Amino acid sequence: MRKFVSLAMMALLTLGINLGTAYAGDYGKQKVVYHINVDDPKVLKAALGNIQNHINAVGKDNIDLRVVMHGPGIALLQIANKDADFADKISNLKRQGVHFNVCNNTLVSKKINYKNDLYDVSKDDIVPSGVAEIAHLESQGFSYVKP
Amino acid sequence: MNTEQKFSDEFLNAFVDEQLSLEERQQVYACLAKDEALNRQVCELRKLHGLVRLAYEQPPVPPQGLTSFATRRRLGLGLAAGLALVIGGVTGWFLHQAPVPQSTAVAQATPDAQDPAKVLFHVSDGHPEHLRNALDEVESLMQYYRKSHQKARVEVVANGDGLNLLLSGISPYAERVRRMQEEYPGLKFVACQNTIDRIQHEVGLNVKLLPGVEVIDSGVAQIMRRQHEGWAYIQV
Repeated sequence: MRKFVSLAMMALLTLGINLGTAYAGDYGKQKVVYHINVDDPKVLKAALGNIQNHINAVGKDNIDLRVVMHGPGIALLQIANKDADFADKISNLKRQGVHFNVCNNTLVSKKINYKNDLYDVSKDDIVPSGVAEIAHLESQGFSYVKP
Repeated sequence: MNTEQKFSDEFLNAFVDEQLSLEERQQVYACLAKDEALNRQVCELRKLHGLVRLAYEQPPVPPQGLTSFATRRRLGLGLAAGLALVIGGVTGWFLHQAPVPQSTAVAQATPDAQDPAKVLFHVSDGHPEHLRNALDEVESLMQYYRKSHQKARVEVVANGDGLNLLLSGISPYAERVRRMQEEYPGLKFVACQNTIDRIQHEVGLNVKLLPGVEVIDSGVAQIMRRQHEGWAYIQV
């Protein structure tokens, strides 16, 4: 009987160890949209940090990550246009495959020239409506994160 | 006032589960009126219980009385922990043996062109400027869908301080809400019953909603339900 108990204990211990190794950082593939509609530099900086941490956890080859900015959230790329630290972080994220999408409604209503006023935006980065883009991405299986 | 000392977690759980005697309940209600922290704690518990109920179609049979509740819970916890250990161990073993393929294609429920877009906006901040932003975003989405001839069902769910948006005599945008309801048939404004109850209890105010506003049991539960049904969630 004692032998049985110790055997059982050993079995449980080994299984426990297996459990630990099997789950370490194994998140599979992810599709995520980050929603940014605030202009507080602290929040924006933290958001860039969140995104980098997210990629670190999942692995850049396993994640399709979109950042959608509209309304006051456009400030992210306005700040990056003047602040090298923000610009570096954004370029770094882009190199890891992150897309930064800008709402055309916002560009029009705030009279923003995307070539001069925003950091590194091309025509392909502009979506007709930021909110509609987010709703669309969610319907395509993207998870929603609001930093 | 220190609520930890006054009522144990188990006691409050039993309160939320409606397991207490009338006398005990009155005791809690008396403190709820004075103690905001306790109020919030009970509110959180209610939310949690609501979510648990939502998760189980067949709710577990509520135990009788407080004492048996506590002991059964302990027994249940032990059993559950044991079970979890066994299941976890076995799963861990299999995962270790045969790693899950990395490239599992995500099943996509792509709606065809006829399917309406379904979007839930969550409003929980009551600051007037915030509410105006929220309405701007809802309206710009409705206009976008109209322009692109896309059918849409859109719900604006207000809870917590966000309920200000829908309160008659308080909302700074009552007229705009009325106009938007009229202008966009696919758009609904929805208020959280839990928040209404809380305001009525705390402020003693008889809550009156704007005309045409619907009421659901819990804003959080509604958000969960809609996401289960494939709605997009956007916090504004």
